[in-house]
Amino acid sequence: MKKIEVTLKNVVNVIREFYKPEKHHFLTLNGLAIDEKTTEIQWIFSEYGKQDEIIVFYVDVTEDDVIPSIVEVIPSAIISQREIVDMFGLKVEDSERGLYLDEDSLQKPLSFGCAL
Amino acid sequence: MSKKTVNIPLGSQHISLLEPIRFKFTCENEKIIGIDSDVGFVHRGVEKACASKFKFDAIGYVVARICGLCAITHSLSYTMAVESMLEGEVSKRAQYLRVLMVELDRLHSHMLCLSHVSENAGFEAMFMRIMGDREPVMDLQEALSGNRVQFDYVSIGGVNRDIESDVAVKVKETLKELRLKVEDYISEFENNWSLSLRYKGIGALSQEDAYRFNTIGPLARATGIKTDVRAESSMLPYGDIGFEMVTKDGGDIYARNMVRLYEMLNSISMCENIIDAMPEGEIFTKLKGKPSGEIVTRLEAPRGELMYYVKGSGKPILDRVRIKTPTFSSIPAFMHIFEGQEYADAPAILASFDPCMSCTAK
Repeated sequence: MKKIEVTLKNVVNVIREFYKPEKHHFLTLNGLAIDEKTTEIQWIFSEYGKQDEIIVFYVDVTEDDVIPSIVEVIPSAIISQREIVDMFGLKVEDSERGLYLDEDSLQKPLSFGCAL
Repeated sequence: MSKKTVNIPLGSQHISLLEPIRFKFTCENEKIIGIDSDVGFVHRGVEKACASKFKFDAIGYVVARICGLCAITHSLSYTMAVESMLEGEVSKRAQYLRVLMVELDRLHSHMLCLSHVSENAGFEAMFMRIMGDREPVMDLQEALSGNRVQFDYVSIGGVNRDIESDVAVKVKETLKELRLKVEDYISEFENNWSLSLRYKGIGALSQEDAYRFNTIGPLARATGIKTDVRAESSMLPYGDIGFEMVTKDGGDIYARNMVRLYEMLNSISMCENIIDAMPEGEIFTKLKGKPSGEIVTRLEAPRGELMYYVKGSGKPILDRVRIKTPTFSSIPAFMHIFEGQEYADAPAILASFDPCMSCTAK
């Protein structure tokens, strides 16, 4: 697993330069709670036809940050982005809430300090 | 005829798919022009439970409860992640037994999908026939693992039960009969009007769109894309047991059916090869320590790529268990395929995706 750190400002451009639809497979967007305020966001890719090739772009964000959308580059990322919004209560550009959770559901079920 | 736009829901439970997913179609007369989805009806918070309520050595049994059909792939994906972090060696015999269970799982899961596709074609007899033929495969899984649905078969370091010689004989006999049945299904799906012509060109996804939407599993291979985790991961010995990637062209319901049918033949061959070449040795190796670090593991579930991300920091409770299921990945492609199709074809298209909402709303 190869990890590459990015910033919120450059992540879309980095992924646009890296991603080739017929070469790379976008697995998913992943969130990892680092502490009560910080979440690591990971964009995970593999490569078609190559064994055990996993590339991860990551950035640390807080609740105040807006995570840029990569839907312009990878249309299927919309569902992963909506999941991050529901699960972590984070803001992702152009990604609405409500894929998994209704309005009356618990907020941010994967963040620290929430009731399960 | 004047154009009239109406909103029609499909689900949250529908006769063609007894699982809770709701598609909201916007239709212009009979044609679907817009679509939204809602997948959260049974969200169970398994990921959070895995990183707060259970110790790492119990999670393999927790994640097996995510899905009745592909329980073995969930527990195996997780277990392989932990084994990699513990840097432990699993015996070759245990690895072969794991693949045997995974491929038997693929067989009965594909049969379930094909039977539902037949039902949607109005071919009730074929539906009943395939479902009846599926039972012996589940009996084999019960004989191997002790259970028909929730397999607590894989454990960290190996598997929990060895294969008895009479079970090995039963596996070979059952699969020999099943091969003949699958060959017969292929003939039916190729020649019977209800199953072949009816489904050609319906619910088609182009290869370009398959790449664009990052499709996986049979959905991608039905468009000709050569992607299969069995070839893209070295964690299981697929290279030794005769794995062959099945691809078809067309991307429609017919092509998806054909991919599944030919994959069944390959799964049967692999299971037979496993029985013939079963290595001697222990089925379990005790691994010491607690998981530390982070890892992504992938496994080809019947519906496509299943991904686990696991992070541990040397404690009994893990920091994160992330589960990305095949159906979750396929939903954007589903929604794209529906656009422009006739509403009347929506249930058949949906069944051909073989969606699994238990996994998706983990």
